[in-house]
Amino acid sequence: MSNIQDFSGYNPTWCPGCGNWGIGVALKKALVELGYSPDQVVIVFGIGCSGNMNDFVNAYAIHSLHGRAIPNAIGAKLANHKMPVIAVVGDGDCYGEGGNHLIHACRGNHDIKVLVHDNRVYGLTTGQSAPTSPKGFKSKSTPLGLIEAPINPLALALTQGASFIAQSFAGDLIHLTNTIKKAISHKGFSLVNVLQPCVTFNKINTYEYYLKRIYKLDEKYEKENFNEALKKSLEANQEKFPLGIIYQSERLAYHQQISQLFDDISLINKNKFDKIEDIINYFK
Amino acid sequence: MIFSVKIGGEAGFGIMTTGLLFSKIASRLGYEVIDYVEYPSLVRGGHNAYEITVSDEKNNALKKEIDYLICLNKDTFLKQKHLLHKESIVVYDKEDFDFEENFIKVNLPFKKIIQELKGQAIMKNTIALGGILALLGADIKVLNELIKEQFLKKGEIIVSFNQSFAQKGYEQIKNNYFSLIKNYLIEKKDKQEKIVVSGNDAFSLGSVIADCRFYCAYPMTPSSSVLTNLASWQDKTNMIVRHAEDEISVINTALGASFAGARSAVGTSGGGFALMVESLSFAGIAEIPIVVFLASRPGPATGMPTWTEQGDLLFACFAGHGEFPKIVLAPGDQKEMIDLTLKAFNLADIYQTPVIILSDMYLSEGHRSIDKKLIDEIINKYKINRGKLLTEKPQENQEFKILNYKRYKITEDGISERLLPGIPGYFYQANSYEHLEDGHTTEDSKPRIDQVDKRNRKWITYLKQDFQMPNIYGDKDAQIIFVSWGSTKGIILEAQNYLEKKDIKTGFYHFNYVYPLDKEKIKKLFLEKKRYILVENNSWAQFGKLLSMETGVEIEEKILRYDGRPINLDDIILKFN
Repeated sequence: MSNIQDFSGYNPTWCPGCGNWGIGVALKKALVELGYSPDQVVIVFGIGCSGNMNDFVNAYAIHSLHGRAIPNAIGAKLANHKMPVIAVVGDGDCYGEGGNHLIHACRGNHDIKVLVHDNRVYGLTTGQSAPTSPKGFKSKSTPLGLIEAPINPLALALTQGASFIAQSFAGDLIHLTNTIKKAISHKGFSLVNVLQPCVTFNKINTYEYYLKRIYKLDEKYEKENFNEALKKSLEANQEKFPLGIIYQSERLAYHQQISQLFDDISLINKNKFDKIEDIINYFK
Repeated sequence: MIFSVKIGGEAGFGIMTTGLLFSKIASRLGYEVIDYVEYPSLVRGGHNAYEITVSDEKNNALKKEIDYLICLNKDTFLKQKHLLHKESIVVYDKEDFDFEENFIKVNLPFKKIIQELKGQAIMKNTIALGGILALLGADIKVLNELIKEQFLKKGEIIVSFNQSFAQKGYEQIKNNYFSLIKNYLIEKKDKQEKIVVSGNDAFSLGSVIADCRFYCAYPMTPSSSVLTNLASWQDKTNMIVRHAEDEISVINTALGASFAGARSAVGTSGGGFALMVESLSFAGIAEIPIVVFLASRPGPATGMPTWTEQGDLLFACFAGHGEFPKIVLAPGDQKEMIDLTLKAFNLADIYQTPVIILSDMYLSEGHRSIDKKLIDEIINKYKINRGKLLTEKPQENQEFKILNYKRYKITEDGISERLLPGIPGYFYQANSYEHLEDGHTTEDSKPRIDQVDKRNRKWITYLKQDFQMPNIYGDKDAQIIFVSWGSTKGIILEAQNYLEKKDIKTGFYHFNYVYPLDKEKIKKLFLEKKRYILVENNSWAQFGKLLSMETGVEIEEKILRYDGRPINLDDIILKFN
């Protein structure tokens, strides 16, 4: 059995009060509670304050480029589907720079768990607007107010075919830990959008802001109902933020549909292909 | 014996398939073939032409003139007639068009035959194949076999239906042009079994032999047939082939798979490669092996998608921000493509860094026959070398235990041991940031310098252990030395043969290992004052620049071609009039 210490690397360098602290602890707790040790998981980190978790969490890890954690995660999963693969990314990372990858990972139902630190601002580059920043948001890159409307990550993932979509809050450790656990246990593409205050650069979407606007989905909520999920996703337009599993459906993951993996032997552990003659025959 | 055949027609009417069938027939009969295809970036309309040179002996380039021109439409004649000579035979349908020029006319009534047999326009090809085989004295048996292989899945009726068109074309010539029939394609008695492969086929085949487990690509001419080859073989080979959403995803998926332990490759052309470049640099610092197949076409931007150019050499060598080692290899023909592909996968694993195989449309889409025996030799000789990859739990007495494993350990040769993710008791991160030996991020001066030096030492090790000097062809002591790289090999060898017959002796330095270059060794090749002639299929003399930069050698005289066509014999020999 592993414990939180086994997963703990360097001491984090996040700002005091940053939502990242909560997410970091929740991720480690979720992994411990699911019975994993650091040598049994792959975590791919994007670039940003979120990605800086690379040094604070122990695992077989990739600290990727900005926006590219998702394709790295897909590749690692396909090469060794026995290991759970988690992508730890930010909103600019995943909904901006790497937006195209997100769409295609959803539609492919790749069995990776994407944990988005959605703080609605660019932190590491010291306060520019993000794809999830509210319209009118004044930032260093939009001093006159942001013109675009924000991305709706939940609705985006839902309409592009993600089979698990959840939302949680960095200030609720228990809810977040449980949500991450459910995401990891889900077979297929999982998106967990974590509402995360940035205490330094986002003076609008604060802990207080969220505490007034978040609410937990109750047991009666039908997470298999696509239309209900769409409604819940769109509540962001009214600044209401449901927490919990917004949508979950059972669908074969991408790797489960690759005939080469039907024998359940991972790609890296297969025997070398030795019937080259069969291929050469095509060229006679 | 050497002759050339060119078949042309409207795009979308099966010219490519027909040309390749002809190459395969000649190869199955025991002859050497080399072919090249011209086509516009269109699915329908426009002009397609497929040119094949057939010879008794090994031959390196297409014949300059066309001996047999098969016109499936008038356009073919108009566009190709400048390549004909007095004895050229033009096969065409008089009902379709006629011409005044003084070439030997062979009327093959495509329209009439199709009407008679109730076929479709696309069957002109089959009639033409029957006709040309008759003119060349071949037995139609081989064509019938190939038709059978091609259509067997559709049933016997379709097979014999198609065969009837070939038979008609064949008879038409036998009955009406008996005097023109040559004995060129009589099945050889002592024939060697051969395969006919394009450069892309050769890379595909090479990657399977090399045990590449993961291939990722986004279609882009002229690299696409690697993707379609490998995808169509995956149920046999077990390779996982992903057609990703864009080239950025392509290389990053492959890097993820490579990190997890699968030999991985990507394929693209210049534009797609441009999108991969940031991630190439990531592979450099995180030290993740990756093979990149880069098949060039004329740029910039969309350029001329279906034509050829060696215009991406400098881009390939210097692709990626920051400084990191990379290896660029440029095969000169299809056989070298197989050889170097096998090497590339080993080099990527040994040096844990990107290895680029540089091809171009001419090499990628042109076919050539290779003796099957040579392929068998390559396969038997090949040893997979995964470098310092630990696939099992290291011995406990070794210095690294949990937390002490140093993924980026400073070593003399610059290469550190790489652990297969999932080995119990260990973990590490492949870091795109500068890092300490254990993989954790650092911005301190000393570890930064240590890691930069370590990565740079991989090049020193490579130059010592794996770099190969250029192959030297012809007379190395000659006063005239051609210098070139990659796909221009064949035409320069032909030019050498031609010049030899005119008593002009030449040597030829042909570079496969184009980057990095070994300065001291290469300088010695250029010590004597001679007439060095650089030959390249681009306008900047890119290899000349690279040579100058890496070794200080400057070559003044240049033969450059950059109209999208491969260099031809005249481009070279006219320099000697």
